[in-house]
Amino acid sequence: MRPRIGSWLPILVIVALAAAASTLRSYPVYLLSLAMINIVAAVGLNLLTGNSGQISLCHSSFIAIGAYTSTLLTAKFGLPFWATIPCGAVAAAALGAVLGAPASRLRGIYLALATLGFLQIVQIAIEEFANVTGGVRGLIVAKPTIGGIRIGDYARFLVVLGCCAFAVWTARNLLASRVGRELDAVRQSPHAAQALGVSLQRVKLGAFALAAAYAGLAGGLQAIVVGFIDPVEFGVSAALRQITFIVVGGMGSVAGSIIGAAVLSGLPEVLRPVKEYSDVIYIAILLGFLIFMPHGLVTAWDAAKRRWRGLPQSPVAEAAR
Amino acid sequence: MNDCLAIEALTVRFGGLVAVRDLSLRVAPGEIRGLIGPNGAGKTTLINAITGAVPIAAGAVRLNGERVSGLSPHAISRRGIGRTFQHVEPFGELSVLDNVLVGIGRRMHVSFGAAALATPNARRCESDAVREALGILERFDLLSYARMPAARLPFGVLKQMDLARALSARPMLLLMDEPTAGMSEAEADRAIAAARALAESEGMTLIVVEHNMRVMMALAHTVSVMQNGVLIAEGTPAEIQRNRTVIDAYLGEETPDVVH
Amino acid sequence: MTLTLALQLAIAGISVGSIYALVALAIVIPFKASGVLNFGQGEIVTFGAYAALVLTQLALPYPVVLIGVLLLGAMGGIVIERVLVRPIVKAPEFTLVIATFAIGLLIKGAISIHFGDSPNSIDGPFGSDPIVAAGLRFNPTSLWIFACTVLVTFGVIAFFRYTRLGKAMRAVSVNADAARLMGIRVERVYRWSWAISTAIGALAGLLVAPLIGINPEIGQLILRGLLGAVLGGFTSVGGAIVGGLAVGLIETFAGVLVGSTFKNLVPFLLLMALLVFRPQGLFGAAEIKRV
Repeated sequence: MRPRIGSWLPILVIVALAAAASTLRSYPVYLLSLAMINIVAAVGLNLLTGNSGQISLCHSSFIAIGAYTSTLLTAKFGLPFWATIPCGAVAAAALGAVLGAPASRLRGIYLALATLGFLQIVQIAIEEFANVTGGVRGLIVAKPTIGGIRIGDYARFLVVLGCCAFAVWTARNLLASRVGRELDAVRQSPHAAQALGVSLQRVKLGAFALAAAYAGLAGGLQAIVVGFIDPVEFGVSAALRQITFIVVGGMGSVAGSIIGAAVLSGLPEVLRPVKEYSDVIYIAILLGFLIFMPHGLVTAWDAAKRRWRGLPQSPVAEAAR
Repeated sequence: MNDCLAIEALTVRFGGLVAVRDLSLRVAPGEIRGLIGPNGAGKTTLINAITGAVPIAAGAVRLNGERVSGLSPHAISRRGIGRTFQHVEPFGELSVLDNVLVGIGRRMHVSFGAAALATPNARRCESDAVREALGILERFDLLSYARMPAARLPFGVLKQMDLARALSARPMLLLMDEPTAGMSEAEADRAIAAARALAESEGMTLIVVEHNMRVMMALAHTVSVMQNGVLIAEGTPAEIQRNRTVIDAYLGEETPDVVH
Repeated sequence: MTLTLALQLAIAGISVGSIYALVALAIVIPFKASGVLNFGQGEIVTFGAYAALVLTQLALPYPVVLIGVLLLGAMGGIVIERVLVRPIVKAPEFTLVIATFAIGLLIKGAISIHFGDSPNSIDGPFGSDPIVAAGLRFNPTSLWIFACTVLVTFGVIAFFRYTRLGKAMRAVSVNADAARLMGIRVERVYRWSWAISTAIGALAGLLVAPLIGINPEIGQLILRGLLGAVLGGFTSVGGAIVGGLAVGLIETFAGVLVGSTFKNLVPFLLLMALLVFRPQGLFGAAEIKRV
């Protein structure tokens, strides 16, 4: 296979980010970390909604599950972050499967309602079991350590960068494989997929668990980066924000997840002078894209790539014009 | 019982409407069975019932003696029943190559974890599958379309792709729902010749729903005729062409296209 | 549990259930007509409550406030339908769900910004001294809510059965294309179905405000309304009303039987159970399709 510039680009970006972050002050590094955490979560949601076509209004709940699980395992059992964060992802995946079992049989508004119900159940559980979760007052997260020694902010950034790269890499691998094709097939033609031996139920349930795993990873990372878990971050507005990332970026592709999450992660910073309006602005952006650019920014990215390579435009781009 | 497919007293209902009534049919291994009938006869419904896409009210379907009726559609497919669609049902955003790869997919022994981590084994399986898929596309003269998204393609090409895709799953029994609809005469002849050759070389059994009588007569060993959900005649193509009941069914009736 | 307690709980359940019933009704009407489920309906209720606040603060008498709220609600619905729903009515289901959801949060955000988060309140039209009859205590506001719900129910049923617009709406809900061919202006029907639904939702806000106060979080009760709609099967006025009342009763009795920790969980667990085992609810058709 011919080596192309394209396959080196991700590595260049990662190295560049790592290098740049070592020179930046801690606040920009913090923002970059949050952006990468958003990318991890968006990648997961895109696999579920963009590829397998299942709407989910409770993605933020799995972020919560990852965050609380990893934090509590560290707090109660003294396990280090690099063990508890994967545990958080696994716990989230398990609950994703629990939701997925019934949810994968539902479509449209009924699926939306089921995920909304799940969101509420998780929110209520967080509030009611306050002696464990800290309830509405939130939970302080211990500083991450390796071998008992606190790791510095730059090291923490590298952890987040590594996890983000891992998440993006695995998602791309999956989409280029049998798994990815089945996710798309299940959405595009359930009849044909079944006629070819693909189990709708299994793929859809798997998609729920998979998306939850990414969200759980994002949650664990978010806990150690922010240092504090605030349950408000996992409510309905947060769920809608997750969806905004993939709508704005473009559904069904990893590039779309990256673009949407990266672009919109900068938004709260830009909006700081008008913080009270930030929710409203997010929603206006979401509505704008839903109406005028439903295929997301990634279509512009794709069009640019094709022009660069002298290829004909894709039918999706043409339809969107 | 050495039938490939045995349909026993099958009844399919949609609410109050009986689409298939007490139908029994036997197809021998390696046979090419034509299935014809006027619009609304229930041919597509019968196919849907065999593949599990619609529920069965009464009766049974057996593949090589084993009961498959009542299983989920994907399980029935895995037992060895494949189908093509009247309206193709392409995976529109996927390329033609990817469409065919979905068919090969279930024979790929790549676990989820291996796929996620792109292990050498996973990559080898993928390139093997791609090679096989490209081979299938070549046989159907679709290589030039391999990387194009299916949604862009003309209907005739899509029908070819549908057939290629169904065959890539290597079914024992292939149900073809109007495979030459939308094709020119030349395309139809080519497609049918390819299907027949494949069927004979792979030992596949075919059931073909067709309106194109020329194609049907050239292709089928035996023809079953349906009307209003029941079987009204069965025999060689030549016998069927002379059968009075069949001729009356086609000429005398104006059934609305209610169930197909 | 004594009979008196049970009856008292039933009264409380029916009074809160009436609100849920109105919300469920407001959800079902445009869904039947245009197939769009308004996930933002809860915020319409919030809007109604704040509209009532504003009008009351203008020292207008209650009947004027009531009519004002209905009108404002209807106008709001027409604006939403025109500006935000019309462009996407043909879009895939995902877009519609997210968009109506977003519209709701937009309304809530706007209310938060304008009025702040601190709670307000208005008084019920008949004061808050309980009426005692047959050994039971009735909150006059609750009686008023129930009476309004009954009136609205009969009004809506009469509307669908006897008015031209109502019959047109029923035709469109069965087959929009055929209705169009028959000369019915389908866009006009959609617009009015939204206007009626948001008017009812706003009314619910006015009615519930004396009971639970006015704050931007009122919209949360849409989830009970949705549960009522699911329970009722999404397809009929009667189903929505019965569903909403049932949810009110279940919630009230659960609060006593299960304790406050789990009381909040019961509606959602019930919703999940319904969606899994019987998504068509008690009265819906088995095959659920979008119109």
